[in-house]
Amino acid sequence: MRTQIRYNSQRKGTPMFTMFRVAAFRLAMILGLTAVLPSASFGAMSELEQAARKEGQVTWYISQYGAEVASNIARAFEKQYPGIKVNVVRATAQVTYQRLIQDIRANVAQCDVFGITDVGAYVDLRGQNRLAKYSAESAAMIAPEFRAAIEKNGYWYPTSALTIAIAYNTNKIKPADAPKKWADLVDPKWRGTVALPHPGYSGVAGVWGLMVSKLYGREYIEKLEKNRPLVGRSILDTVTMLNSGERSVAVSLVGPALESASKGNPIAVVYPEEGSVIVDAPTAILQNAPHPNAARLFMEFLLGIEHAKLVVSLPRYESVRAEVKPLPGGKPLHDLKLLRASDEEVTQGIPKLIERWRDLFGN
Amino acid sequence: MPTATEFTLKSEGRRLGALNLTSLVWVLISVILIALIVNPLLRLVITSFRDAETGTLTLANYVYAYGRARHLLALMHSVLLGLAVAGLCTLLAVPLAWAVSRTDMLGKGVIRLLVLGAFVTPPYLGAVSWILLAGPNAGWLNRLFRATSGLDVTPFNIYTFWGLAVAISLTSFPYIFIFTNAALDVVSSEMEDAANILGAGRWRTTLRVTLPMVTPAIIGAAMITFLETIAMFGTPALIGMPAGFNVVTTQLFQFFSYPMRVEAAAAYSMPLLFITVALFWLQMKILRRKGFVALTGKGGGRRLIALGRWRWPVFGYAMFILSLAVVLPYLALAQAAFAKAWGRGFQWDNLTLANFQYLIFENHTAAQSVLNSFIFGATSAFLALGLGLIVAYIVIRRLLPHAQVLGFLCMAPFVIPGIVLAIGFYAAYAPPPLSLYGTSAILVLAFTTRFLPIAYASSNAALRSLNPEMEDAVRILGGSHFTALRRVTGPLLKQGLIGAWLLVFIPATRELSTAIFLSGPNTRVMSVMLFDLSEEGLLEKLAALGFLLLAATLVVVAIGYKVVGKDIMLTRRAGL
Repeated sequence: MRTQIRYNSQRKGTPMFTMFRVAAFRLAMILGLTAVLPSASFGAMSELEQAARKEGQVTWYISQYGAEVASNIARAFEKQYPGIKVNVVRATAQVTYQRLIQDIRANVAQCDVFGITDVGAYVDLRGQNRLAKYSAESAAMIAPEFRAAIEKNGYWYPTSALTIAIAYNTNKIKPADAPKKWADLVDPKWRGTVALPHPGYSGVAGVWGLMVSKLYGREYIEKLEKNRPLVGRSILDTVTMLNSGERSVAVSLVGPALESASKGNPIAVVYPEEGSVIVDAPTAILQNAPHPNAARLFMEFLLGIEHAKLVVSLPRYESVRAEVKPLPGGKPLHDLKLLRASDEEVTQGIPKLIERWRDLFGN
Repeated sequence: MPTATEFTLKSEGRRLGALNLTSLVWVLISVILIALIVNPLLRLVITSFRDAETGTLTLANYVYAYGRARHLLALMHSVLLGLAVAGLCTLLAVPLAWAVSRTDMLGKGVIRLLVLGAFVTPPYLGAVSWILLAGPNAGWLNRLFRATSGLDVTPFNIYTFWGLAVAISLTSFPYIFIFTNAALDVVSSEMEDAANILGAGRWRTTLRVTLPMVTPAIIGAAMITFLETIAMFGTPALIGMPAGFNVVTTQLFQFFSYPMRVEAAAAYSMPLLFITVALFWLQMKILRRKGFVALTGKGGGRRLIALGRWRWPVFGYAMFILSLAVVLPYLALAQAAFAKAWGRGFQWDNLTLANFQYLIFENHTAAQSVLNSFIFGATSAFLALGLGLIVAYIVIRRLLPHAQVLGFLCMAPFVIPGIVLAIGFYAAYAPPPLSLYGTSAILVLAFTTRFLPIAYASSNAALRSLNPEMEDAVRILGGSHFTALRRVTGPLLKQGLIGAWLLVFIPATRELSTAIFLSGPNTRVMSVMLFDLSEEGLLEKLAALGFLLLAATLVVVAIGYKVVGKDIMLTRRAGL
């Protein structure tokens, strides 16, 4: 008897009432969702967005930014397109490339968007038909300096540019005494004081190694080794070595060095007389990307204004959009002498440079 | 009333049925053990002879692996490093163990606690703290020296061979300490009394009588320290790479970098395997030959040697060693974990919680890696313990013929260095058809295999302590072996099993050498995450993550202490 009474008191009412409640709930949900969703841009973009949202996530193999910056960029994308999660997989360039190769060898499709600083990897991947061809809408709005870097067939696009110069610890070295050119780094005066990245890990370090070898021949790296530098892995590590005072001179990315200085660390940047090395950071979509539409949407984001603003403010890299100006503090690109490596130089030169470096430096 | 024939048939049938079930179990266990242990090793050897492109048999991998001067140098470096560390650890641990075990020195409880702290610290965290302490320009010890002496000289350089050896020794010496301590604890004082009566002083007695009696334990532990050092990846990577000092494990890491050469890595890992097997065989021979009657304990008591005026100096020496091993490193890590830039030092404006915030809330991979470490560690602990217990039960109760083969297989992974096991697993299970590449399964299976010997040996020791009467009683009353295990043996063994589970769980959560090749982007564990963070030199965030790891480990160890008692770390029970 008691069971019957309990059942009666818990009955939710008549079927009609239930249907009404369900309909009202659904309507509320739709209204709520429309309020929350951003107004989609019209045309092809909104189609892409819808398709991307159905996929729900995009996996980004990235070496061009440090872990913190990459997380921030991911979150900005997630904020602009809620419902699409970005899986950030960050490591140095060669480690990231190795991961992709491992995926390919194991026949596993994990990576959607691939961004490292060694363009030789892209040349190899395109040769193996691993990259997807995509005509990015935003590519037309890239600044003129970077148009040349756009691979004409549309397999990869520059999404930022990184400049390498010399940084030093201002507590230990006065501006007048600081090294002024790349040639200064092999001066015995700087023995035991230099911090370097490792081309076997860092893509930009590879390009830097190629450029200084081009300027001064193979002996440059040998003389550098005799000066007992401290070799890390990522080029971002050289800034932390300056921060801690472990070394006083470093081969660093201009952006992160200036960023660190703005936080109160005793760091200043010198643009070498021979020229600062500039590396365009390419981004590509994988042919077998598990979330192709989300990947394309992410690519458009990386070529857009929002990302450009983040890029100049967080790691202080160069943006590829002319509308977005760099922060005060560094020298603008057109004031600098720039050293750029060609795609062939990078493709042929970096593997050999890595082997030589390992033999010279021990690992 | 059943006739004699019916009865015989029935009992035969039950016996046959039991045989069938146990045969099934035997086959199942064998298949599992072969898949976990024999297959990866076999694939490793086969892969070392395989050509990367064509798959044909070739010696080219060996030529490549041993043809370059840098690779051979790495081999030599590994052996030298192992010898240096084994020697240093012995120098550090033996006097300490003697003092704690045989004398009336002060603060024994504190010393033991600190040694446990050193034991529990992952070696790569010790490496990071020593970079903070002894970095050639910015290290705290160097700064202190400069400040107090006024000289512009920095005497401590962690980025050297001896810097590396000291950093490894300070986290590895607890192993020799524990073994020597355990061995000294059971040496009765009769021998020492005899030596004293014959005129030998305190020190002469110690050096000529007491210590030689525990030489096998010391040598055994020193050999294991040597083997652990040559198989270590974390510390040689963190300290050796900037120092330009290449060892076998870091060279293997290079083989896994682009361009990837798994075949060369397989060929290059053979010496590591051979050295390990050879040394273990040697160690077994040494430990078996010497007969040390004192260890069978005829009831001679152990009297502590009075140190007299040496009490405080000995205590000072012990605290000095343990400050270097535990106190200073933990302090350095704490300072960096709560600092914006560790180099700026102990200033109020340098304090921050941002590192922890970044790890827990902003970097999804880091937060996930903490969870992953514990989940994978717990899973592999359960699997290893389950397998080890079943095999130990089969071996001890002699349920099957040739059960010792299973026992031998269970102990075999002990002789395989973690990194070599990982390469074997990678070669065997990462590619199709199983395609376990990047999954948590391959990581958990590798951990299970790696720690199976500990689980097996602990289960073995625990089961040996049980009298079979109780299980026989269950069988007589009609229960099966399984019932006996579940209702009688299991509950009796609970404490021992929990201890064994912890002995697998704790190392599994911080294992790096095995994880470095198998941990994919989605299955990051804390140890590999720490290595990733060191890439960008983010020592502050690294220290914060290390802090979380240490805190969690200490909590688990504390729980273990309460549940199992003081015996948790002593391997006396495990008979290792």
